[in-house]
Amino acid sequence: MKPAPFEFRAPVSLDGVLEEMREHGEAARILAGGQSLVPLMNLRMLQPSVLVSINHCKELSYIRAEEDGLVCGALARQWDVEHDQVAIQRCPLLVQALHHVGARSNRNRGTVCGSLAHADPLAELPAVALALDADMIAASSTGRRVVPAREFFVGALENSLRPDEILEAVRFPYAPTGSRSCFIELGNRNHGFAIAGVALEVTFGEDGRCRRARLAVMGGENIAKRASDTEVALAGSIIDEAAAREAGRLTASLVDVAGDFHADAAYRRELVAVLVERALIQVASGAAGRARSI
Amino acid sequence: MSQATSLRKTDVTLTINGKSYTRQVEPRRLLVDFIRHDVGLKATHIGCEHGVCGACTVRIDGRTARSCLHFAVAVQGAEIETLEGLSADGRLAGLQKAFHDAHGLQCGYCTPGVLLTAEEFLSENPEPSEQEIRAALSNNLCRCTGYVNIVKAIANAARDRDKTTADPAGESRK
Amino acid sequence: MIAQGHPRSIGKHVPRREDPYLLRGEGRFLDDIAEPKDTLFLSFAMSPHAHARILAIRTDAASALPGVVAVYTAEDMARFVKPIRTVIEIQGYRASSRMVLAQDEVRFVGEHVAVVVAEDPYIAQDAAELIEVDYEPLPAAVRLEEADSESAPLVHEDIPRNVMFEAAFASPDFQAAFESAEMIVSETFRTGRVAGVPLEPRGCLALLDHVADSLLFYTSTQIPHLARTALSEILDFPEPRIRVVTPEVGGGFGTKAQFYTEEVVTAALALNLRRPIKWVQDRREELLTSIHARDHIYRLEAAIDGEGRIKALRTDLTTNAGAYSSYPFGCTLEATGGARMIVGPYDIRNYAFHTRAIATHTCPSGAYRGVAQPSCFMAIEGLMDRIGRKLGIDPATVRQRNLIRSEQLPYTNVLGVRYDTGSYEECLRRALERVDYWNFRKRQAEARDDDEVLRGIGICCFTEVAGAGSGGWRVRGLTKVPGFDSASIKVEPTGKVTLLVSQAAAGQGHLTTFAQVLADYLGVKVEDVFVSEGDTATAPYGTNTFASRGAVAAGGAVIKAAQSLRQKIARIAAFLLDVDVERVELTESKAIDKENPEKSVDFRQVAQIAYSMTSVALPQGESFGLEVVEMYDPPLATWPNAVHAVVVAVDRRTAKVSIEKYVVVHDSGRLINPMIVDGQIHGGIVQGIGEALMEQIVYDEDGQMLNANLLDYLMPMALDVPQIDISHIETPSIDALGGFKGVGEGGVIGAVPAVTNAVADALARTGANINRLPLRPSYLLREMRRRQLAVDGDRK
Repeated sequence: MKPAPFEFRAPVSLDGVLEEMREHGEAARILAGGQSLVPLMNLRMLQPSVLVSINHCKELSYIRAEEDGLVCGALARQWDVEHDQVAIQRCPLLVQALHHVGARSNRNRGTVCGSLAHADPLAELPAVALALDADMIAASSTGRRVVPAREFFVGALENSLRPDEILEAVRFPYAPTGSRSCFIELGNRNHGFAIAGVALEVTFGEDGRCRRARLAVMGGENIAKRASDTEVALAGSIIDEAAAREAGRLTASLVDVAGDFHADAAYRRELVAVLVERALIQVASGAAGRARSI
Repeated sequence: MSQATSLRKTDVTLTINGKSYTRQVEPRRLLVDFIRHDVGLKATHIGCEHGVCGACTVRIDGRTARSCLHFAVAVQGAEIETLEGLSADGRLAGLQKAFHDAHGLQCGYCTPGVLLTAEEFLSENPEPSEQEIRAALSNNLCRCTGYVNIVKAIANAARDRDKTTADPAGESRK
Repeated sequence: MIAQGHPRSIGKHVPRREDPYLLRGEGRFLDDIAEPKDTLFLSFAMSPHAHARILAIRTDAASALPGVVAVYTAEDMARFVKPIRTVIEIQGYRASSRMVLAQDEVRFVGEHVAVVVAEDPYIAQDAAELIEVDYEPLPAAVRLEEADSESAPLVHEDIPRNVMFEAAFASPDFQAAFESAEMIVSETFRTGRVAGVPLEPRGCLALLDHVADSLLFYTSTQIPHLARTALSEILDFPEPRIRVVTPEVGGGFGTKAQFYTEEVVTAALALNLRRPIKWVQDRREELLTSIHARDHIYRLEAAIDGEGRIKALRTDLTTNAGAYSSYPFGCTLEATGGARMIVGPYDIRNYAFHTRAIATHTCPSGAYRGVAQPSCFMAIEGLMDRIGRKLGIDPATVRQRNLIRSEQLPYTNVLGVRYDTGSYEECLRRALERVDYWNFRKRQAEARDDDEVLRGIGICCFTEVAGAGSGGWRVRGLTKVPGFDSASIKVEPTGKVTLLVSQAAAGQGHLTTFAQVLADYLGVKVEDVFVSEGDTATAPYGTNTFASRGAVAAGGAVIKAAQSLRQKIARIAAFLLDVDVERVELTESKAIDKENPEKSVDFRQVAQIAYSMTSVALPQGESFGLEVVEMYDPPLATWPNAVHAVVVAVDRRTAKVSIEKYVVVHDSGRLINPMIVDGQIHGGIVQGIGEALMEQIVYDEDGQMLNANLLDYLMPMALDVPQIDISHIETPSIDALGGFKGVGEGGVIGAVPAVTNAVADALARTGANINRLPLRPSYLLREMRRRQLAVDGDRK
């Protein structure tokens, strides 16, 4: 299991990276932490002819608390984001999800943007980005554009970046005051690839009712999906057991599930229902992550 | 500006266990092969080459990482530490003793990766619960021990480490 | 006999000698051996088809790649390599031949069709991708159920109906007993397909000694001696000129107790190209081509009386052999083993079986830890629970009523197999106590239908066939498996002791345990003993390391050799001490005069005389040296026994299983090193938990393996497994020297049935019938729903 040969580029600046992508775009892949890309290369399931490493591009490793959200540069490592104080206090869903990503040694190297760009249907971070309407900041030698998460994820292992673009950064909006969040997933093992998972943030009004729910589920052969109908149904309601169960049922009927040898489609669908229900109970009971205002 | 290299071999310089090594390798050369075959340090093992089993765990710039998931050229200039280095400078002495006493290894193939994972974990969680230890090992595959004595060894090492710090004179140590 | 005053080493938690170097990362595994500069590396081109005719192979592009030295196909190899033919001298077996590279036809995905020899492993793999093969795809028989039919595609033209092995048995009164019983309880059990997956994949390194024209062959194996004989026969190269060395082995579990085609290819190419050749398997190849196991169907029928006693049992067993008979155990081991071991610790006097091994277009199956036993005990123990449910008798009570009672021992079972000693009732009694069985049952009875968590308890009572001697292997027709093992002891001129055993450990701690055995039986200090094994140039011939045989067979050989050498030491010491030899006792590396213990000579003084390195001459009639080699042939088998008891919780809505309590009461006779014994049990149990809950090799209907990687072949990690409470009963074997019974496989044998029964018990109140592995949540929930739908349907 040795990778096929490739040309290697290691620019030391973002401009350099974008220049390489302009030149080699179609044939090139970006190497950040490599935790998803390199296994596929070792298995020779991917054989890019040019690899553009951003690992020497220190200017991309920032984690910035901006006014409208936490911005993680393309080289921000998952472990650093998971332990960033602003992230912990103001982006609890992101941090909760990061606990589930690989092992410590994978998160030490893996990047937040890398996982998003890889767009694995069973990866945690795309679900979070979708639930929170994160802004994906795409850059190319001709300029920058902001791609909403919903437009960024096209399908399994497929994003909407142009060949010459890279995901330069991602902006996660801060959790609103009064919100609580929960990321749960379940797999055949207690840690590792999930069968299904749920990213949920609920903002409660002073009357205890759900003012706004944000919900994304993963578990199909396709990329994680936002459960907008469930969000609408939950808005304005009291989240009790019955409401949670109904929301689970509704979500399960909306998602795109597929069976494989890890779990059949019926199970995945049923699991989505249970996980949504349990996540809602957790946030309603206050057991889940709470955003703190600073 | 780009440090351009191509299919051709290129000079890669890494500091491994405090010593600098320069070798001419292809860009696709995996870090684990650089360490094992180009430098000749064999404590880092290959178990799966797709980042699941943890046998190839090393430290890159002070943190654990899977050396099968890195190209040597992409970590150009990094500080790498392997079991040989951590073992030689005594940083693992407590863990090694605990694994020996608790029979925390059988075939020994996963052991280097487990030791590096445990060392990083204990340095940040001095008083771990059993569940925390198990979670820390969640991506280190062992097919021999059933993890029972690995968990025990790490718990014992934490306890003994705790004693050493609480009692710097070491009077309570026998 | 062991000297009275000698401090016992056997039975002690002696820390392992293997640890210090392994903990420093200094263990030298196959790929750690520094190969010579001119070494060439292999990469195999593998079949992408489960079944296809090879029309043409084009190797030009591969050969032209810079760095490639040669490319070989079956045609090239046939010039200097014979096919591997697993001969088994047993009725009903049909041998299949396998060429080391596929010739004309491929029979499973991953089968090698060509091999590249290159200067670098990366280049070798590049070239393997460039080999072009024209295939004519043929219909494949992938699943056991499909291959076992009149209309199935044939795996081998000369094996009709894909039946590679078939055997049947009925005890004289079976039919009458079966027909006269009060009722019949029957069930079909389907086990999953799993693999051993040692953390270190396989590999070998072949070096030539040009002066001696001999081959030095390093291979990550459990069977160095058997591999050497096989290499010699297949390559037609003189056995004395082959030296097989096993380096440190990173896990075996039986996976490395088979001899493989790649070993032949590596050795053959070294001899042919006159260059060092190295092959290191990668994980994908490991999962595709190292033996698979289990994949059985058991159809059981028990004729019982009203108390739940089995009056007659019938087993119909079908096993999946894969595409070829693996070497040396062939396809019969699981088929005969499952049918014969299933009677276990139960007093079943009337028994009949019909068993078959069916060829399929999948990777060959072979001897993985526990062999047939995890499956056959899942079946019989599952049946015990069903008998209980049918009669409304607690399943523990059903077992108590069927177990062989202590006073029946030694006991000859319905197949004529002798159990010398055991502790079946006592193990069950103690296991029930430790797991707090009856209180659990009380709490379980109070559980409500709407509880979110369903709890269940599972038991497995079992015997284990271990340490089989020559008779045991001959009975099975496995004539390439000798059955004896050997020990060579040398008290060196300095008085220190070298012990060579015919074993090859893969983590079992042999360097420690055999030193303990020798220390006691020779009267030498344990630290004075140096143990070495795994090198055919030094270790005497033997059967090597698998089937829980190390302690029994090699332990016995060590005892036998020690007994023979101590006579000589005692005679020379008696001469030095000037006393009768009967007065001499050996203890702590000294020979003492029993009647005057202050009077002693140490082993060094004795050795110096024996090696003529002192002014005192060797006594008349003695030969020089202090060396002895002894072979020991254990009995037909030894019979460890144990009971596992497991409590599980199943989330009713997600069907996720967690193990809350795990109790083992184990009897493997006399324990050499309890710490190591517990380690073996722990490891086996976790492999068994994997097999029960998650592990499964998946082929699609075309025979593509869908999970040849560790992301998708799921094995337990630390978070998936419980603490394990082990206690021991020591009933020494009276048939085997030393009283040892062997311990390598018991963990996995007990775990698969106990976990399965616990989950089935938890779900019993939902009406789900759990009878197939693995018990993944999706399967469990489907069974619960199926039952629910049936109930709902009835209501309507």
